[in-house]
Amino acid sequence: MIAKNRGTGVGESVPRKEDRRFLNGSGQFVGDIALSHMEDVAFIRSPFAHGLINNIEIPDSLRHSVYCAKDLIDTKSIRAVSNLKGFKPSDQPLLALEKVRYVGELIAACLGATRAEAEDKVDEIYADIDPLPVIVDMLDARKPDAPLIHEDWGDNIFLETRMSARQPEPLLSAPIKVNRKLRMSRQCMAPLEGRGVVAQWDNRLEQLTVYTSTQIPHIVRSGLSECLGLDESSIRVISPDVGGGFGYKGLLLPEEVIVCWLALKRGNPVRWLEDRREALTAAANAREHYYDITLCANQEGEVLSLDAQVHVDAGAYSAYPFTACLEAAQVASILPGPYNIPNYNCKTWSVATNKCGILPYRGVARTGVCYALESMLDLVARSVGKEPFEIRLLNLVKPDQMPFNNITNKHFDSGDYPACLRKAVAAIDLDSVRKQQKDAGATGPMIGVGVSIYNEQAAHGTTVYSGWGIPMIPGYEQAFARFSPDGELEIRVGIQCHGQGTETSLAQIAHEVLGLDIASIKIVHGDTALSPYSTGTWGSRVIVMAGGAVARACEELSSRLCKIGAHLMQSKVSDTYIENGMVKTPARQISIQEVSQTWYRRPQDLPNDVDPGGLEVTAGYKMERDDGTFSYAAHAVVVSIDPELGNVDLMKYVIVEDGGKLINPMIVDGQVCGGAAQGIGTALYEEMPFDENGQPMASTLAEYILPGATEVPDIEVQHMETPSPYSKFGQKGIGEGGAIGSVAAIANAVNDALSPLGVEITETPITPRRILETIAMAKQDGTPGS
Amino acid sequence: MSNHNISLDVNGCLVEASVEPRQSLADFLRENLALTGTHLGCEHGICGACTVFINGVPARSCIARAVSCEGDEIKTIEGFVDDPWMEAIREKFSSEHALQCGFCTPGMLVTAYDITKRIPDADEARIRVELAGNLCRCTGYKGIVNAIKGVLKDQKDVS
Repeated sequence: MIAKNRGTGVGESVPRKEDRRFLNGSGQFVGDIALSHMEDVAFIRSPFAHGLINNIEIPDSLRHSVYCAKDLIDTKSIRAVSNLKGFKPSDQPLLALEKVRYVGELIAACLGATRAEAEDKVDEIYADIDPLPVIVDMLDARKPDAPLIHEDWGDNIFLETRMSARQPEPLLSAPIKVNRKLRMSRQCMAPLEGRGVVAQWDNRLEQLTVYTSTQIPHIVRSGLSECLGLDESSIRVISPDVGGGFGYKGLLLPEEVIVCWLALKRGNPVRWLEDRREALTAAANAREHYYDITLCANQEGEVLSLDAQVHVDAGAYSAYPFTACLEAAQVASILPGPYNIPNYNCKTWSVATNKCGILPYRGVARTGVCYALESMLDLVARSVGKEPFEIRLLNLVKPDQMPFNNITNKHFDSGDYPACLRKAVAAIDLDSVRKQQKDAGATGPMIGVGVSIYNEQAAHGTTVYSGWGIPMIPGYEQAFARFSPDGELEIRVGIQCHGQGTETSLAQIAHEVLGLDIASIKIVHGDTALSPYSTGTWGSRVIVMAGGAVARACEELSSRLCKIGAHLMQSKVSDTYIENGMVKTPARQISIQEVSQTWYRRPQDLPNDVDPGGLEVTAGYKMERDDGTFSYAAHAVVVSIDPELGNVDLMKYVIVEDGGKLINPMIVDGQVCGGAAQGIGTALYEEMPFDENGQPMASTLAEYILPGATEVPDIEVQHMETPSPYSKFGQKGIGEGGAIGSVAAIANAVNDALSPLGVEITETPITPRRILETIAMAKQDGTPGS
Repeated sequence: MSNHNISLDVNGCLVEASVEPRQSLADFLRENLALTGTHLGCEHGICGACTVFINGVPARSCIARAVSCEGDEIKTIEGFVDDPWMEAIREKFSSEHALQCGFCTPGMLVTAYDITKRIPDADEARIRVELAGNLCRCTGYKGIVNAIKGVLKDQKDVS
């Protein structure tokens, strides 16, 4: 029997337990770890996007501190295969042996007493490479005479997928038909802390200890085991404090494998810390999509069909564990968005190019999908002469249809999508923006307003991922919980926290069940030796999955406490319950601490039928349906464009979000605003341009522009709270959402502002150059509106 | 490469060291003095995670050379342990949720300290401009701006 515990439990904006160490500067990131006799690694990376390695010239003086592919005996390349039919696997060598396939690919590793010394050695090594013809653009990669990235494939396609669902009656004609070709540029996720690894062999434990800045320590351990040929029990992966992830740290790195191999080879600790130039030039790995998309509608604006051909630039290699096809496969399954669309046809290609392998970035395919579909709905609105939000209201899934199985068989769990959109439109004060636009003169800033709405499948588990058949399929999520003899609660989870405040929100969930002061609850994570197995932190899954597991473990502890407590108080177990950290009966109460002390120090006082498992429990959790919660949000934004400079100013920005039951609303707001700031980067600033030779052109943060405090407005966040019927407290995953809706809303607002000129932008980021070129096209075409 | 002897004040302690001329102040603080609260985000002077006070002025320690800090007073995040002004900022950062991963936080706090001391009447727009040299990838800046506004408001209410 569990009573309601109040104060710092579910639904409270509790300040974060983890803040203090970061505020004191005493967080421990991988770069802060210094081990005695540690050597630093610097990598020789390919200067060419495609080429054959003739020779790697290493001066004799460096023979003992430089390692190439031929030295890496007994290792395996990284192979991330999907079981989807037709998937072509790539072998990513740890160090390139014969061929390089992107700028920044690893060729050799140099060791030095300091990072600077290791870098000095890199300058002394010459890689003799014959350049090959390069594929920079994913559309060129599909041409019949295109050079091949992987010769044995015969083409440059990792995977082609097709999804089609139609009504029995064929759609012969539609009064409204709109088609566009839309493109998103390649991005670098750019968490503020780069990647980094420190590895050390422990002779006593006969174990390799690997500190790495990762979101997925258990998955990295499996990957290291496969590549190094070591038992998993001989590897301990520790993810210390991680300075931002966003997907950038959700993979097995070749650098991780090499640093581990070097630590085994050298017998001393080895460290690699990625620098920003490496991150930008060798790891710009996100978001590059190209849509050829057609929407048909009736005169009212009701969508009749959606057809799309989508290319995703997956780069040269399939990354472990998400593979080269996750992004494109997800596009096909989620393109219809939160709408009820009767006819759907989508083809996707995951295309190999001479760039680094793609990774799922916050929102994964949803950001591109939302941009594409929401852009098209605005075109329908313009065609039928209605407000964009009106078209959306016509087509959104209605609350009385929930739960709703959409055309791709996604199961939307709960929510009121139209109400969410209406709230956003009301908050942005659409009428006054329209009046402002009417009153504006022919010169001066151009005002535009845009909306977007999306839903976000989160915490999706076995049923979804077994379909994709990638190296990692999430099953039951587990949490270990135990009381120590002094009555403090320790909870260990296999997920990893890198800014999401999970050390606090999971403690709130434990408090909700047991009523203990959250100061007495310690959340331990990010260490394969200490925590139960988990696929880690990705897919907005932690609060649902780890949260559910923590609740289960605490419930089990609660019943064990009650059994012992009832015996100590000489009452019935059925009359005993936990409240505010006390074990209670209607007449008496004792503290959890006293029960703990009985278990550990006075076992003679325990009941004869006590659970021999004592006060520690590992509990597993899956949702009632494991195909995910669906949070959703509407974004509404007003922009002002300077027609002379091409700058886009965000005048007002509103987000209405429904994340189900919020565990910690303050943390949720932080996730929503932070995600939106990244979406603003995608929409307006962040782009890794490549020249015709496949050279990345932005190698510093002076060229790769991240939004700062003057670029991100004061975003207004409103909430709805429709519980998920399937999760423990009704919570839904929301970690990625902010980054999904902003690109679409901003692009729609920009195109609304440009619409009097009869031109539109069809590519992100919407930089001043693209704005000015588009405005110039209008001038070339003659009269505005033509 | 010949080393140079330097002597400087770091968080109130006299430090004497022999350094390579190329060593950045940030690397000197982190690698030689184990003051790892100063973080390196870009190592080319853009992100501001490495911001420390040099003679009372916020500066990027990744593009300052240790050798050029001869005789200077350096103050890093570790040097504010008993500083009530910084404590007020820290408390506001926590209550306004101005940090997530914590990597930009030490640099942000140094800049916030400077803003709140130097521009007591800063409005939101000014605060945002003053923060232009510190990137945060997690928060969207809302909490950071609100924390600084909050510190300034509390100071006004007191005075």
